[in-house]
Amino acid sequence: MALLDMTGIHKRFGQVSALADVDFDLEAGEVHALVGENGAGKSTLMKVLAGVQRADSGTMTLAGSVVRFGSVNEAQAHGVVMVYQELALVPSLSVAENLFLGKLPKVVGYGALFERARRLLTRVELEVDPGTEVARLSIGEKQLVEIARALAREGRILVLDEPTAALSATESDRLFAIIDKVKQGGVAVVYISHRLEEVFRIADRVTVLRDGERVGTRTVADTSADEIVQLMVGKSVRHHERTPRTTERTLGTFEASGPGLASMSISLRAGEIVGLAGVIGSGRERILPTLFGLGGSARWAGESVRGPREAIRRGIVLVPSDRKTQGLVVELSVEENVSLATLSRLQRFGFMDRKREREQTRRWIDRLALRPPDPRKSVRELSGGNQQKVVIAKALATEPEVLLLDEPTRGVDVGARAELYDVIDDLSQRGLGLVLSSSDSEELLRLSDRILVFRGGRVTAELLPPFAYEEVVAHVTGARQLA
Amino acid sequence: MSLARVNWREIVARFGLVMALVALVIVLSTLSDRFLTTSNIINVLRQISINAIIAAGMTVVIIGRGIDLSVGSLLALTGVVGAGLAVGGLPAGFAILAALALGTALGTFNGAFVAYAGIAPFIVTLAGLTIFRGAALAFTDGRPISGLPPLFRTIGYGDFLGLPIPVWIMLGFLILTHVILRYTALGRAVYAIGGNEEAARLSGIPVRRVILFTFAYSGMAAALASMVLTGRLNSAQPSAGVMFELDAIAAVVVGGTSLFGGRGGVFGTLIGALIIGVINNGMNLLNVPSFYQQIVKGGVILGALLIERLVATRRT
Ligand SMILES: Nc1ncnc2c1ncn2[C@@H]1O[C@H](COP(=O)(O)OP(=O)(O)OP(=O)(O)O)[C@@H](O)[C@H]1O
Ligand SMILES: [Mg+2]
Repeated sequence: MALLDMTGIHKRFGQVSALADVDFDLEAGEVHALVGENGAGKSTLMKVLAGVQRADSGTMTLAGSVVRFGSVNEAQAHGVVMVYQELALVPSLSVAENLFLGKLPKVVGYGALFERARRLLTRVELEVDPGTEVARLSIGEKQLVEIARALAREGRILVLDEPTAALSATESDRLFAIIDKVKQGGVAVVYISHRLEEVFRIADRVTVLRDGERVGTRTVADTSADEIVQLMVGKSVRHHERTPRTTERTLGTFEASGPGLASMSISLRAGEIVGLAGVIGSGRERILPTLFGLGGSARWAGESVRGPREAIRRGIVLVPSDRKTQGLVVELSVEENVSLATLSRLQRFGFMDRKREREQTRRWIDRLALRPPDPRKSVRELSGGNQQKVVIAKALATEPEVLLLDEPTRGVDVGARAELYDVIDDLSQRGLGLVLSSSDSEELLRLSDRILVFRGGRVTAELLPPFAYEEVVAHVTGARQLA
Repeated sequence: MSLARVNWREIVARFGLVMALVALVIVLSTLSDRFLTTSNIINVLRQISINAIIAAGMTVVIIGRGIDLSVGSLLALTGVVGAGLAVGGLPAGFAILAALALGTALGTFNGAFVAYAGIAPFIVTLAGLTIFRGAALAFTDGRPISGLPPLFRTIGYGDFLGLPIPVWIMLGFLILTHVILRYTALGRAVYAIGGNEEAARLSGIPVRRVILFTFAYSGMAAALASMVLTGRLNSAQPSAGVMFELDAIAAVVVGGTSLFGGRGGVFGTLIGALIIGVINNGMNLLNVPSFYQQIVKGGVILGALLIERLVATRRT
């Protein structure tokens, strides 16, 4: 008998039907992947399971008895633990406090707490001090803290919503080893990801959602990536091929240094895409914020960049890695978010030019294929991948000369990813210079004209095409050093 | 589609305030036949005008995730300085402009500590509350200033097109505030900062300057309210405006603006001020003793917030 049986789950948000008659089941000790395009309903289905959201109808049977969770605590009491796509840590608290949030003893003995925290962090092999304020962690580090926290809860169902979106190959491998271990212990794992190769590596079964409906469940051994993609998008997705258009014209040179970063310089030519590779803690996650004037010191074309405002004025714009804390004002609409970095251009005598604003928003909604294509929709109500598109639209609306992309496709599905790659490609054709920091090696290989590898806060290798996946990974992990 | 399924949450969230006000008006008009008369309605509007003006400025601050506790004292200080200048011989119009400028400057002083020194708004304006009050008392030696030029009386008691001048000033200031919040880039920036300051900063919005503006604007609002009050009393009192900050904050939150910033607007604040004003007026008409009035008013504020919370919690 299945450990969990969800049948006939319906969930509407106003006019949007997020889930329609969805069935989903879980066996103890299996890894069950959940895939589908942005907005397909993956997160919503799992939020119903975790007690975050209530289904409109449908039943859940857990270990033989019918359950209905009104709150996260109730779900947790039944052993359902979830790591959310939009990370849910308290930025102003320490790593240790976050790890035991809601489970803190009445009197907090910091010695003992830190000791337990350290043990948990070792499990995910994250080397940060438990006293560090979470706000100071990079997105990948936060992700690992979330995973460690979920492990501490020791449930019988562990839901991971895009846990590797900000992790590089090495950290992902570590996570897979951990998943393997909890699975041996009889825990059922739900694994949501847009990276199909991961699904084929660790999952036993895979369920595909499309537009809120379940379109199929397959045993991984009996299916292929092509079939899954077919099910997901209803058509086959073409592979992206990039024609490099790097010119000889130099746009300028970045010089940067800062805490945890040796001083370095990165020169950028018009049309060039420079990829940055490196594991968590390599300095790779720190470099783009530094170039944008957010701490450390940075110079562009000989003059120092003192802050985001100045950077944007000089044609440099950043797509930050953490859309929730750095990218979006979720209270505001799609349009209001897209306009945020171009307010000065969309105004006349201080008044917003609503017509121009609407034109600009529509243009980007079309260009990035935002779903739903509604400028007035509150950003809070978009799926993760579509939220990411809003952040990118906001940056592109400034019509920059240099675009700094920090994990630009975090949480973006295959189809939209191809669209985004097209957009990025197109921008390079138009002579922009792009710096792309990504934990996804495939993405780096596909887009970059050259790849800079970071280790220990410095650039340890510069790779030129044709790239080989193994070579990049070898450099990133330090298996191969610069000769 | 689902016409049959009425979404009460949505309706309460959108029209709840107005519905509450209408319900209140209906109840009071059955309890007292003096309530729903033209003269009483105008009376209510005049009574709320001072609070509504202050609350409009407060709305801007609160949307930007700040708070301004200094408005009552600031009102007293700008009142005595404006009146002092007028009595001292400066033409009344200039004295009023000087008072408004002073209010803006004092608000800027608050804003500078918040935006540039990074001190919490609560603390900064709490300090402002005692400093401005002290300054007002020192300036006047604790005595009221009277013998004002006639312009002040006109502001306090004049009529225009059948409505009292204070009501016109209130409406004008509410509209100005609404236009700033909804139609200007500055207003957009205030919402963005209140919603997510970090994202606003990374989008190149001059966060500090905008925060400075919100406090300056609140200071100006308090000074404007002060001119109306001075006109009503036909004198300036250094002890005026004690606890006015609480009435203003109450109007803002009853009006649905979130204390966590990023949400709300000045239309709600007007309704909030009206609800509080109507309750005060109704209880006066019904001869409710003033001690009980305070209890009822507090209860209404709690009730409004409770309803707002119940409506808001399901928005995960
Ligand atoms: N709180 C909400 N209010 C309104 N609509 C919502 C809300 N949460 C999700 N939706 C809508 O429900 C649908 C499913 O969203 P969901 O987040 O489950 O997608 P997803 O499969 O997790 O996508 P992604 O891969 O982008 O994370 C989307 O159309 C989304 O806009
Ligand atoms: Mg999701």
